Amino acid sequence: MAHTPENRDLKAELTHDHVGLTDTFAARRYFRKFEKITAHLARVAATMEVERRLSKTDVALIGSYVEAIGRTFQALAMKYLMTGRDTGTFFGSLAFDAHESGFPVCRELMTMANDAQQAERHLSGMMAVADLKAEMIRTIVGELKIPTKLQFALSQRLYYESLLRGGLFWAQNDPQAVWLGEAGQDRRLYQLHWAVYDSQINLPTIYLMELEDTGRTALPKDQRRWPEAQSHLMAQSMAGLKLLTIAQGFDADFDDLHPKRLRRFHIGPMYSSAYTRQTGPIRQVLENAHSPEGEDWTLAWTVEELESERVEIQKSGWFGKVEREIFALDPFTGRGVDTGATRTERAVILPQRPYQVLAELDPPGFRDVRKFVVSPQGRVLSYR
Amino acid sequence: MADFDAQIRKSQEEVAEAQSKISELTSRIETARQKLATGGDIAIDIENASLEDVHAHTELMNANIAELIMGLDDVTTAFSKDFDEMRNKTGWESFVAVFSKGKSDSLRQERMRTASIDDKLQDLIGKSDVIVKLLEGQLNILNTQKEKVEGNLSETLDDREATVGDLERTRAEIQGMDPKIIELENKISVEQDAAARTKLETQLADLNTKYNGLVQQEQVMLAKSQTLERYIEKGKTWIDSLQNQAATQLVLINKLQTDTKQRVVLYDALSKSLKTAQQQDVAHRINEIGVQTDQEAQAAMAGIGSATNARMADMLEAHEDHMVFARKVLEQKAKADERFARRFQKIVEKHDKNLYGA
Repeated sequence: MAHTPENRDLKAELTHDHVGLTDTFAARRYFRKFEKITAHLARVAATMEVERRLSKTDVALIGSYVEAIGRTFQALAMKYLMTGRDTGTFFGSLAFDAHESGFPVCRELMTMANDAQQAERHLSGMMAVADLKAEMIRTIVGELKIPTKLQFALSQRLYYESLLRGGLFWAQNDPQAVWLGEAGQDRRLYQLHWAVYDSQINLPTIYLMELEDTGRTALPKDQRRWPEAQSHLMAQSMAGLKLLTIAQGFDADFDDLHPKRLRRFHIGPMYSSAYTRQTGPIRQVLENAHSPEGEDWTLAWTVEELESERVEIQKSGWFGKVEREIFALDPFTGRGVDTGATRTERAVILPQRPYQVLAELDPPGFRDVRKFVVSPQGRVLSYR
Repeated sequence: MADFDAQIRKSQEEVAEAQSKISELTSRIETARQKLATGGDIAIDIENASLEDVHAHTELMNANIAELIMGLDDVTTAFSKDFDEMRNKTGWESFVAVFSKGKSDSLRQERMRTASIDDKLQDLIGKSDVIVKLLEGQLNILNTQKEKVEGNLSETLDDREATVGDLERTRAEIQGMDPKIIELENKISVEQDAAARTKLETQLADLNTKYNGLVQQEQVMLAKSQTLERYIEKGKTWIDSLQNQAATQLVLINKLQTDTKQRVVLYDALSKSLKTAQQQDVAHRINEIGVQTDQEAQAAMAGIGSATNARMADMLEAHEDHMVFARKVLEQKAKADERFARRFQKIVEKHDKNLYGA
């Protein structure tokens, strides 16, 4: 089936906006940029906590995911540190989605998971860091050569070490439960949180769900329901699905779990005049800003929120009764049906120079977007 | 996937054997070089370094790896089974449909919600990674061997240059001696005094000895230069062959990586678009009314069924709309395919006609 011409075209089309970073300095600059951006993200989350838009638990959870994203980027930076140099080994380059994402493609994270399984085996056959460094000095002093191959070996060693250390953001990060309290008799309140690296839009997506549990056993201790719920949520975590679809499906499949509030955070896309192709006003903003290296980016950040409005009791089978949630949709003129959410809030995070240009141009699409302006010193200012 | 694992093991063994043969040949060429340095006779060593054996084996190994790559196609047919399952109803669901269409549909929907091909994608990446590692190992060996032989060869070329220089010098010396000998012979023929004649004859004898010595030296040098030439020929052929093999490895790696890259994206897109079909505006309207009647669910399901197809078409059109055309990817893919087809036409034919073991 894979040999027909139609299939080939479709395959090529689906990967047409995946771009390889083959230049050494371009690749390193790309990773440096992300290191900065993830540092800013944590501060933006803290600002939101001060404004009471996020609770303390939310910020802690989101913060840990953002840190994990940072660690994933560090690991990838190590893996591809020697991109574009002749290391004597056939080695690929980082593929990232240059169109409406700016993040590495999902396959990179899947490959990383694959590498992680074999990390220990690789490390056992490698020289220790100190030995590699000593060998490098010997090559530099003795043979008067740049020790490219040793550098490559060391970068791979550090990559596998960071995989073993863990705490990374994987393509799938399975749900975990945080106990929030009692919501009434035999009703436990939990916050579930999980995250995926969405393979369609190539962006990290964080999900937070508050639910009430009326089961006999507490959900995280229930050997039957908890694994089922986990795999159900992971299989449904797609950017293509509206929150309403996810929440309704979950509500229907689990009679004694009642999702009350579901939030989804899309981290990205990242726009950068140097790396990504973008359309619309953001392109002009970035081009007009002529920012120096490291300040020529914009990161979008979208929060979708769905709340339960009321509960209806329905018959289930001959004798049983179950609660079904009716969710509140966006009250403004039926747009809720389109978005499938109660509220959608967009924000952009950008350095001072691009913001200046954005404020001057004042494109209509950006008026109701929240703007977080970050300075190199780490100060975060928020504008409407 | 026992077949695949078995085939991987078989390929690994063959790669190991091919590698040992390759290094054996290189080491033979190196031993010859060492013998040469100590002035031993290397003619036999060179004749022994037969390339045919190595070639036959490498071909076998490459064919096997190519089949392994084709075998991945068979692994991927498992995906299409999954997709079919996502599209169609199971036996139980069809049975339930006889009594209640709504119940059957909601069963199918529930199954769709938990369906996931992520494990399989991970498996695909893992398997193709194993093959790539295999090929990369082989490529590395080939490259280091090539470097070794090349270094060896350049030394030998220097040697041969020196030998040829010596040879020419000896020849010039021999030629330079000719007039001296003729002159002496002429002198002897006209000399009357016996004592002087004897002296001249002794001189001539000395000269002749020296001449003969030089001629013998010339012969030895000629033989050495010829041996070196043959050694160089062998070495050159070996480098050529190593280069060809390395090119083959690169073609295989290229083909495999391009294919896997695109497959992962394609399968992922397909499974997700199948799942997205579950959300239709009809389905959302049901939110307000609650799950009222089977009828409405039926309407939704009918819509979703046709929406699955429409969704695929939409997806393609959307891609076309904002497509910044990346010709490079297409060209690279075409090139990789063409190179692959050229090199492995026979295996492809066999695979397509399913003539294994025929």
